[in-house]
Amino acid sequence: MKRISVLLATVLALTFPAIAAETTRQPAPAEAHLYIGWPNDGEVVDRRFKVWFGLRNMGVAPAGVAKDATGHHHLIIDAPLPAMDEPIPNDQHHRHFGAGQTETTLELPPGKHTLQLIMGDAEHVPHNPPVVSKKITVTVR
Amino acid sequence: MKSLTLALASIILAATSPALAQEREPAPPGSRAYIIWPRDGTVVEGGKLWVRMGLSEMGVAPSGVRKQGSGHHHLLVDTDLPPMDEPIPNNARHLHFGAGQTEARLELPPGRHTLQMLLGDADHVPHDPPVMSKKISITVK
Repeated sequence: MKRISVLLATVLALTFPAIAAETTRQPAPAEAHLYIGWPNDGEVVDRRFKVWFGLRNMGVAPAGVAKDATGHHHLIIDAPLPAMDEPIPNDQHHRHFGAGQTETTLELPPGKHTLQLIMGDAEHVPHNPPVVSKKITVTVR
Repeated sequence: MKSLTLALASIILAATSPALAQEREPAPPGSRAYIIWPRDGTVVEGGKLWVRMGLSEMGVAPSGVRKQGSGHHHLLVDTDLPPMDEPIPNNARHLHFGAGQTEARLELPPGRHTLQMLLGDADHVPHDPPVMSKKISITVK
């Protein structure tokens, strides 16, 4: 019976590599709080605007630096949250700030846009539990 | 005679100012530190506040992490700038954020207080030129 369980676990790990990867996710510090300091939810902004990344009870470290209780910022634009057990995609909808930046300037077309921050560890994988901001909506005039 | 004077001068200089021998990290062009909150002149009720530390064109890295274009925050409370060619002191007036924090929780007694940010490199030495904020004053009621 025990042998069957081991076999089952192996089969599971092979078919769902994400399950095996999950164990390596960095623990999120207790009380870690991520938020968009600017703009405010519902704000009407110019085409070019600054975004401030707010983080409490946790530190910033560049990508590639493995240090407890740190991570680097990712800004999700007009997209839902990515998968939590693999590296955050790197594209126009998922901006990486792997140099340890804590703000950015965006240029978006007129209309409504959503913004959300998520921390990634040294390998760009979200922490466990993920450190995520509220998703806000801004209108570009 | 000339070479002897030069040699003597270098020995004396090296012996009396060991800091001169230390290579300061260059500041990234256009980098700027600024206090997002509180604003200059703010009156704070109660004395407990979060100071939000802003950084443009540069990244945050924990102390000990040597990465070009990065540094970690120091907050100077009620004091002047320290010497620029040696590690920033570590005491109640020179707060270190070596874990890569970008916000500081302060508790200040009633009265006027000054706050100023100064970035330090992996070894807590200011960059060249130093990346620092304007010195602001707040009043605790």
